[in-house]
Amino acid sequence: MTEIRIAEDQWDEDLEGNLLTWLYDEGTEVSQGDVIVEIMVEKLQVEIEAPASGILRHGKAEGDLVNRGDVIGSVRPG
Amino acid sequence: MVNPTDIKTAQRPAPKARKVLMNRAIREALDYELANDPTVFLMGEDVGPFGGVYQTATGLYEKYGPERIRDTPISEAGFIAAAAGAAMAGMRPVVELMFVDFIGVCLDPLFNFIAKHATHTGGKQPMPVTIMAGMGGGYCDASQHSQTLFATFAHLPGLKVVAPSTAYDARGLLHAAIRDPNPVMFLMQKELLGLGLWGTLPGATSIMPDEPFELPIGKAFVRREGRDITLVGMAASAHMARQAAEALAKEGIDAEVIDLATISPLDRDTVIASVAKTGRLLVADEDYRNCGVAGEVIASVCEAIGHKLKAPPRRVAFPDTPIPFARPLEQYLRPSAEKIVSTTLDLFKDYA
Repeated sequence: MTEIRIAEDQWDEDLEGNLLTWLYDEGTEVSQGDVIVEIMVEKLQVEIEAPASGILRHGKAEGDLVNRGDVIGSVRPG
Repeated sequence: MVNPTDIKTAQRPAPKARKVLMNRAIREALDYELANDPTVFLMGEDVGPFGGVYQTATGLYEKYGPERIRDTPISEAGFIAAAAGAAMAGMRPVVELMFVDFIGVCLDPLFNFIAKHATHTGGKQPMPVTIMAGMGGGYCDASQHSQTLFATFAHLPGLKVVAPSTAYDARGLLHAAIRDPNPVMFLMQKELLGLGLWGTLPGATSIMPDEPFELPIGKAFVRREGRDITLVGMAASAHMARQAAEALAKEGIDAEVIDLATISPLDRDTVIASVAKTGRLLVADEDYRNCGVAGEVIASVCEAIGHKLKAPPRRVAFPDTPIPFARPLEQYLRPSAEKIVSTTLDLFKDYA
């Protein structure tokens, strides 16, 4: 299982982000490099890619506030 | 006891359906058109490295460079007129006007030139300009940042006006708008774009194909079929109409919901066909009530099949006043699903 973690340098300042959307439902098989989640930080939209291929699990929900370094979900081998 | 077949089903991965917010849908349409037509370029305030205030251009500057993704000064009159000149020179400009309210400072190039030039030249010089603009209120941004101005643009011959309510429609209609030889106002409702800070309406997110596709400008969509009343909306008010229809179903009223999607040219046929079936009509319109799209839809229906109506038509529109800043005042005045429901219930009570 691979954690989906927001990188420490994902955005510049120490700001909270708002998890806008998961692009795929939980249980979808995603490929490494697929854009899977969008986060709004101030007025900037940040994309996070699947760190590995596998079945997607959402750890955080849409609308949740997230920080750099947070684990927001995982992918496990299909 | 658990059936082993069920476990297998539960563990099977869900089909890979990509859910896309409206601003990403717009970005994907722009990306495709920029990649496939060298005459397409984008300009506007902060559309460069910042990616646009609505993040409709994120990554495009890095991909296409400063010649094709052009940051402009805060001079709408300048860059709307520049788009007209570029179109005359054979380009296909896409311009982002940050807030539709700012059209006030550049009406002359739009109303007197862009909208009329193809006619003035006997069709020899088309004006393939797409103007993308954020519009709509409901989030306390007051009178100069909350308008929709549907009717202001729809009133003028020579302009097409679209106002999509979902990411899917936005993508298909933007492909069509950019490819259209006529000028198109592409109105983006802020609360539907998917940006957390404007409030995001979940119903605007769509399952999105990877391949580009076009939706026809000038075609309304029936969102819900019903027998008792036709509810018409556009952009956010189409969502209000759909929510109202769900509430009305619990009251025993079966509403048909039509999303105009295009304001001009107006798809009168779809609305008239629906009202011919239901006999009742309510139009929800976030624009000002006086001389608005709601009035035009109602007039069109009355001209065609007024004798078949079972009750007078109704409109739920913004009262004729500048949009207030204070939240309680704005919410009091702005159309909503609740107002559509109460107006419909009153209609059924008064004309039982």
